[in-house]
Amino acid sequence: MHDVTAPTAGDLLVILRHSPHGSSWLREGLDAALVGAAFGQRVHLLFMGEGVTALVEGQQAGALGQKGTAPTLEMLEMYDIETLWVEAQALARFGLSPADLMLDPVPLSADALARAVATHPLVLTF
Amino acid sequence: MRYGILLLGAPYSDQASHSALRFARALLARGHRLEAVFFYHDGVYNAARLAAPPQDEPHLVDGWATLHAEHGVALQVCIAAALRRGLLDEREAARHGKAGHSVEAPFELTGVGQLIDLGQRCDRLVTFGP
Amino acid sequence: MKLHILNRSPASSQVPAQALSAMGPEDRLLLIEDGVQGALPALIHHYAAIPGRLYALREDLVARGLIGRCDGTVQVVDVDGFVTLTEEAEQTLSWY
Repeated sequence: MHDVTAPTAGDLLVILRHSPHGSSWLREGLDAALVGAAFGQRVHLLFMGEGVTALVEGQQAGALGQKGTAPTLEMLEMYDIETLWVEAQALARFGLSPADLMLDPVPLSADALARAVATHPLVLTF
Repeated sequence: MRYGILLLGAPYSDQASHSALRFARALLARGHRLEAVFFYHDGVYNAARLAAPPQDEPHLVDGWATLHAEHGVALQVCIAAALRRGLLDEREAARHGKAGHSVEAPFELTGVGQLIDLGQRCDRLVTFGP
Repeated sequence: MKLHILNRSPASSQVPAQALSAMGPEDRLLLIEDGVQGALPALIHHYAAIPGRLYALREDLVARGLIGRCDGTVQVVDVDGFVTLTEEAEQTLSWY
């Protein structure tokens, strides 16, 4: 697991703290991130707490055909959202390792997480 | 200063709407400008024109409309979040073949782009979540 | 310096810990709504890491009957004080 000591500054940091399927928070937070990127903002994503489960490999549609959020995550690169951070502590709490996750996110220690927040003029928490 | 508010909680379910309205009035009283309130997630229910709370409770929908009338605060409702939850203005109701509409001026259905714009334009964007 | 706004109680939620982990060394924390429970002496230890940077909203304390029960280290502000805190911070983040 590698860490980032000086997180890249951006215009907008979107913090995602909810799991897929259980609520619309993740989808609506991602929508805000995608629209921000479409508006030309440098958008960074931080998956925190339960949000780290959004990146687990092998997600599928729900029983009623609900799409979930994995297809949206696959599109992030098309929107030039390339910086994906995950809270290292939360990964540990869920017993997950970076190898379990899609899109190769960068784990952030508690210190790096606070610095990532500090370097963004606008932070939206979902 | 120029402020924006992002409201994510449904009225009467959570305190978020009351907190946001109280904060909005306080910042206006201190001479700041409130550019817009953006209603997202369950916050879109604040735009339900048929809301009929008991008379001895604060009327939140009217509270927002008053802010618009007295201070020109834009009341922007995320259209994607609203349509899913049955909140349609006259135009959207007609487009979707619905008999009635549930959102009316001064609330306006708009895209999430307005939220991003608000964040760029304002000195402060304050979020009230459920 | 950013202002973090928190409406959850440390007695029942992980969210206060999330807010604390995102705070920089100068950042301030304002407790509102159910978050004001964290101002009680029995719960104040959750905020031991941010001495002098903890605030609680008077109106929400009064409404809950907790105004006289706050720990002495908490700075109580009314809604005007809330606005002032947002003026003094470069931006705000909300934890809910």
